[in-house]
Amino acid sequence: MTVVLQQGINGIVLGSLYVLVALGLTLVYGVLVQINFAHADIVTLGAFSAYFFMHGLGGGYIPSIAVALLVGGILGWLMNAAIFAPLREKGSELLPLIATIGVSVMMENAMLAWFGPIPYAFDSPYSNHVMRLGGTFITLQNALIIAVSAATIALLYAFMKFTFLGKALRAVAQDRETAGLMGINPNQLVMLTFVIASALAGMAGAMLGPVLVLTPFAGTSVIVKAFAIVIIGGFGNVEGTILAGLVVGLIESYTTQYLGPGMIDIVVFVLLLLMLAVRPTGLIAERREENV
Amino acid sequence: MLSRRAAYLCATLTIAVLPLVFPDAYWRTNLIVCALNVMLAIGLDFVLGYAGQLNLGQSAFYGLGAYASTLLIMRLGLPFWVAFAAAVAFAGLAGIVLALFAMRLRGHYLAIASLGFAVITYQILLNWISLTQGPLGIYAIPPPPTLALPGLPPIGFRNLANLFYLVAGFALLSYLLLDQLIRSPIGETLTAIREDEVSAAALGINCAAWKVFAFGVGSAVAGAAGCFYAAFVGTLVPDAFFITESFTILAMVVVGGTGTLIGPVWGAILLTVLPELLRGIGDLRLVVYGVALTLVVLFIPGGLAQAARLALARLRRAEAP
Repeated sequence: MTVVLQQGINGIVLGSLYVLVALGLTLVYGVLVQINFAHADIVTLGAFSAYFFMHGLGGGYIPSIAVALLVGGILGWLMNAAIFAPLREKGSELLPLIATIGVSVMMENAMLAWFGPIPYAFDSPYSNHVMRLGGTFITLQNALIIAVSAATIALLYAFMKFTFLGKALRAVAQDRETAGLMGINPNQLVMLTFVIASALAGMAGAMLGPVLVLTPFAGTSVIVKAFAIVIIGGFGNVEGTILAGLVVGLIESYTTQYLGPGMIDIVVFVLLLLMLAVRPTGLIAERREENV
Repeated sequence: MLSRRAAYLCATLTIAVLPLVFPDAYWRTNLIVCALNVMLAIGLDFVLGYAGQLNLGQSAFYGLGAYASTLLIMRLGLPFWVAFAAAVAFAGLAGIVLALFAMRLRGHYLAIASLGFAVITYQILLNWISLTQGPLGIYAIPPPPTLALPGLPPIGFRNLANLFYLVAGFALLSYLLLDQLIRSPIGETLTAIREDEVSAAALGINCAAWKVFAFGVGSAVAGAAGCFYAAFVGTLVPDAFFITESFTILAMVVVGGTGTLIGPVWGAILLTVLPELLRGIGDLRLVVYGVALTLVVLFIPGGLAQAARLALARLRRAEAP
């Protein structure tokens, strides 16, 4: 029983980080109907910038999360300005996706050349503080991850639901042209979405750093799961993504416990393919069905 | 323009001459890698450029071909060419299975489903240790058996030049096959599906069946490349078939020009040779794939093929004012 609970906690920690990464993909898909493959490398660069902020500049761990958030936001702005904005006029569905694969390959290999293939030991100062909860343990680091992720997700949710900008964003996601007629500038909102999405990814990177093996390819393993999550949750669907992210986190920790870590991707992706076959609109039914 | 027959003759002559121009083992190895990549790229182009389906699972079919043939040879002791035929059929079947699965999906969903397929395949190769030996890899895979033609000295494939002739010959054969398919009504059918699936269906085209067909052919070609890869390298590890390999093949197709068969050939050659020429700059040379892919999509979405056409048109205009 304790093992089940313990793995449940681990799953939620992991799941909440996946949610942060997947939410970015889903937000961008919502307004642009495009996938950003380089999202993975924003996660990785977020982790590296947090690492170098701590080990190079002697900063603290919590400020380093803010640094990663900032780096992620800037990268998102660049991605949109350099790739998505120019390609939007051409109107192809697959070209932007292929271009982001190019950016991703470029960033991964640039990081490989600069940082090398040897994993970095990214230690958080909070990993050694262990708290007891009944029969289970939770490190301060994990508690921090859950708290920061939950707060971020709640803030984002409130932003989308109650602020003018958030409403404008949802309007653009529903119908860009009509939103434009209502005096909303869709291009600015797309940019804002990109910055938010990438800032979330960068921030998730800073918190994933101590969990993952930090190499230039760290983001790739996360992003393939994030893709699975957005499809399981329904592309463009925020609630579905949160739910699916937590589910995948739990699947991952229970698979590690009972089937071995090698089975994680297999279980997650078999689930993904089953979802695609049975219910391609995602866990929570979606209005958008043009791809299925 | 060269007639097709003359073009094939030219290609055959080029293949015949290349190992003589590059006598050292290093460049002959690269020639073989070029030929393998050409097969992978034209196979993917058939699916992406003609049927219009973004398949990110090409690395999986490549790996399935390599592992299937190697295991049949080493575990069951089948002769190379029997194992080759079986592995090509197996990779083709795997492509058909993925396509049946993804029949209802389009665009991004298909891209992610095929990526998921590649991830699952990679993980199975990595974790089914009793079969594939996982990350330890399979060693001492024999090259294709010596060919004894009547009246000729035996042709051994430990010789890199002979192996190049074999692989490049099959690459040329695959090209010929795909070219014939594309020039037949099947090519028109696939292009119709690419341009507009609904209109194609309205013309009485069974889109699902033709997509399955395209996936089957494209992955069978990748499977053949996989067989030769295993026999050429002599060792197999799952890492050779990680999803990044799919991205590399995609880069070759897009840089060369999707929707033309000759474009991806040049794309594959360019992106195989260029990183070798750039060895001087260390690991940074691998950035070439990403840079080339991004720049081509942004500035010449038709790839090298489009750039060549534009350059030719400009030349003609300059000649005839």
